[in-house]
Amino acid sequence: MSQRLSDRIAGVLLLIFASWYGLTARSFNVNFIADPVGPKAFPFILAVFMGLSSLYLIFKPDEGPTWPPFSVWLRIILVVISFVAYAYMLVPLGFILATTLELASLSLIFRGPPLRSLMAALLFSLVMYALFAFGLELGLPTGRIFSFLGV
Amino acid sequence: MEVFSLLAQGFAIALQPINILLAFVGVFLGTLVGMLPGIGPINGIAILIPVTFALGLPPESSLILFAGIYYGSQYGNSISTILLNVPGTASAVVTAIDGYAMTKKGRAGPALAMSAIASFFGGTVSVIALMLFAPLLSQWAIRFGPAEYFALMVFAFSTLSSLAGANLAKALISTAFGLMLATVGLDPNSAVARYTFGELKLFDGMDFVVVTIGFFAISEVIQILEESSKGQQVKSALGRVMISSREFIKSLWTMVRGSVIGFFIGVLPGAGGTIASFVSYTTEKRLVDRQNSFGRGDIRGVAAPESANNASANGAMIPLLTLGVPGSGTTAVMLGALLGMNITPGPLLIANNPQIFWGLVASMYIGNLMLLLLNLPLVGLFVRILSVPRWFLLPAVAAISFIAVYAVNNSPFDLLLMTGFGLVGYAMRKTGFPLAPVILGLVLGPLMEKNLRRALSLSGGDWTVLFSSPLAIGIWILALASLFLPTLVARYTVIRRVDSEEDGEID
Amino acid sequence: MRRFLFAVSMTFIFSSLALAQFQPSGTVECIAPANPGGGWDFTCRSVGKLLNDLGLVDRPVKVTNMPGGGGGVAFANVVAQRNDDNNLIVAASPATTLRLAQGQYGDFSGEDVRWLGALGADFGVIAVAADSPYMTLDDLIEAWRNDPTSAAVGGGSAVGGQDHMKVLVLAKAAGLDPTSIRYVPFDGGGEALTSLLGGFVQVFPGDASEISGQLEAGNIRILAVLAPERLGGALAEVPTAKELGYDVEWLVFRGFYVPAGMSDEAFAWWSETMATLEASEEWAEARAQNNLGKFFRAGDEFDSFIKAQIQDLRQLSTDLGLIQ
Repeated sequence: MSQRLSDRIAGVLLLIFASWYGLTARSFNVNFIADPVGPKAFPFILAVFMGLSSLYLIFKPDEGPTWPPFSVWLRIILVVISFVAYAYMLVPLGFILATTLELASLSLIFRGPPLRSLMAALLFSLVMYALFAFGLELGLPTGRIFSFLGV
Repeated sequence: MEVFSLLAQGFAIALQPINILLAFVGVFLGTLVGMLPGIGPINGIAILIPVTFALGLPPESSLILFAGIYYGSQYGNSISTILLNVPGTASAVVTAIDGYAMTKKGRAGPALAMSAIASFFGGTVSVIALMLFAPLLSQWAIRFGPAEYFALMVFAFSTLSSLAGANLAKALISTAFGLMLATVGLDPNSAVARYTFGELKLFDGMDFVVVTIGFFAISEVIQILEESSKGQQVKSALGRVMISSREFIKSLWTMVRGSVIGFFIGVLPGAGGTIASFVSYTTEKRLVDRQNSFGRGDIRGVAAPESANNASANGAMIPLLTLGVPGSGTTAVMLGALLGMNITPGPLLIANNPQIFWGLVASMYIGNLMLLLLNLPLVGLFVRILSVPRWFLLPAVAAISFIAVYAVNNSPFDLLLMTGFGLVGYAMRKTGFPLAPVILGLVLGPLMEKNLRRALSLSGGDWTVLFSSPLAIGIWILALASLFLPTLVARYTVIRRVDSEEDGEID
Repeated sequence: MRRFLFAVSMTFIFSSLALAQFQPSGTVECIAPANPGGGWDFTCRSVGKLLNDLGLVDRPVKVTNMPGGGGGVAFANVVAQRNDDNNLIVAASPATTLRLAQGQYGDFSGEDVRWLGALGADFGVIAVAADSPYMTLDDLIEAWRNDPTSAAVGGGSAVGGQDHMKVLVLAKAAGLDPTSIRYVPFDGGGEALTSLLGGFVQVFPGDASEISGQLEAGNIRILAVLAPERLGGALAEVPTAKELGYDVEWLVFRGFYVPAGMSDEAFAWWSETMATLEASEEWAEARAQNNLGKFFRAGDEFDSFIKAQIQDLRQLSTDLGLIQ
């Protein structure tokens, strides 16, 4: 396996992305008073620009980085899953519960002491909720599952 | 000179005890709010506007409070930028480059101190510039038409090569990616939806906060997860907190140039702090970076954007007050507050309501000074954030990021976008793509496209309009010079490379 | 017949009195479908503050900024998720109705919400620079007739948006080809006005509230106001487009819509509350401070007014070729 594989893969992916980006721009049609440049020109230029740069990358790649071992990838994947889960849980569970769970699991992934992680997560969520919902008047979700309480 | 007596009156108002107290409260609250990435001063000011009405504060006092919040939050933002690599504004993205590098070298204290000092310096220079040039400057702002703005964007991007690391192609790709992100949403000209996949939430485009938090905060969390798995310790040695007089002298001219650049760019409506901090950084890198230490924790890399950013905030008062054009979200809210106080922005504002204009200038200066007095002693305390155990600090950063991102549109969808950008950002860091150009592309891209299209609409498609005014031609020459001069200079001069003990490389 | 109508209207009044027993419980929320600092944000914040100051609600009104899709995100949110909320009002203006008419809110239409009322209005104006050769609206129209590219228009909205519509409607009324006139969109009225001063565009079709500062300084000239009758103050001398023979009006109302599923009792309470607000001195003051003209419609009258407006705008946009 070549040391320069990372950049080559990146180059190929970027080339595909640039092609898709450029091709998509063809569908931007204005049916009423178009300006001389129009909405397509800028995306086309960008697609060509990125395409050429990624070709350069494919032919002149740098030394690749050291990618983390599988065990680390596993933890990274866990973190990402927790982010996605949080996005879906936030509205149903409400800010305080969802954030406590998310913070506690993140702390555990970062190898925090379990009990203290949970306590810290709960405390931090409460403080943040108070600060943002009351202090800054941001509308944080209270949680649909609590709707029976009439909140 | 009449200006001095007016300014003196302004200061007389700003120095009343109640106003000093308000400035203090504003700076304090602002610092707290600003530390939370992506929340920014807009919310703080928007909430306090009805409070100031309710308290029956006179306009000057309210403005002093707002100015305090504005400055405080700028500085609070520097704290999260320098300590955690989580910039909350586009101009802070530039500060992050050397500021965070300094933190990694255990020099977070001097970086924070320099940020406060450079901000104050920028504020001072720009207040002087306001006194000297205020009446002339609205004329300078009006001269910037679409062609001139387009040339200015080209100039900004032409300095980009100095941000590139080893591989220019990667910097170009990063920039193109940012520009592509900027095209998502309704086309500002024809209202055609581009790259929205029919999703209403994408019609307003990629929000700056979502992209920046993803690329910086989330990818940082992943990066540190990887580093900590290897048992690597990020240096969090607290070390010396203040900057040395040598560092101050070294940065003095950087701050002077940064302030001047920042002020004059800040006067241009809409361009503001981002271009100012970006251009001042790249200028300094080219002028004074003999040891190639910018990007590796050079204190001047903090001084330049911070002084420019602050100076541009003062410069932006000119288009705000004389043309009614707010340069940023915060100034838009301040404009709303002014209107609520029955003060109509316009060319006559400085003449008709000098107490408002100079009171504002004085209050911004007081805010600036208060910031220095309040925060310099606290630098040591802020730096201690780094000694919070990692298993708590990083999840906490993530949680605050979630709130900031969610609050943009009250939409969990943005959290998914943020996570995606976080992964892309991590991959880019690993493979050596610089992140700052992505954000610059995102922020400056729309300005570039819009102004090009405006210019050509006005000329009916005639491209020569881009070079039709002396001002535009002047900026084009600057852009060409910035592209080609460095290579020419490098070819004909031998730059002696000195390895200084203080700015040794770190990886 | 008249007796019958009388009976109907009396029944209506009594029933609305009976229905007006509603009083919001809990916190009232006002959604501004944009970031802080704009017109919708102003509408929410000033009305929210007045509701509280006048003791019409018992807790401070919560203002939520929900930007996105030119108000579309908020609209979709209200229709899909909060359709039966009695404590919710959403700021609206012709930017809302124009987008609905042009189908820019996806599949949603003006029928999906209930239109509560308007508390004031701004009016369109046609402005040129003070040193412009066009002294009257006729001068400008004549210049366009000779060469449509002779005077470029710079406005604060996208192609097909409010500022553009003013020009399109004016050109149509003057018998010109509306699409032949050059229109350049800027980011908001302030930027467009700056370009007018810089001489980059020759005409600015803004709103009366946007131009007062520059007008006072003598930097611009107003050729016509697009109002049913002359405006007061500094604009008292400026003729309406109608006086000059062009049947064009552009009324920028500041008002609210509410969820379609709001109970009739709540809707009646809100309509009355709008009337109370509008009649208050505090509102008159806030209105004057923000250069808004007097304009009031509420309840079912406003609802039908808006629905008719959306119909008109849709017809107009179709005639102009903006939508199919």
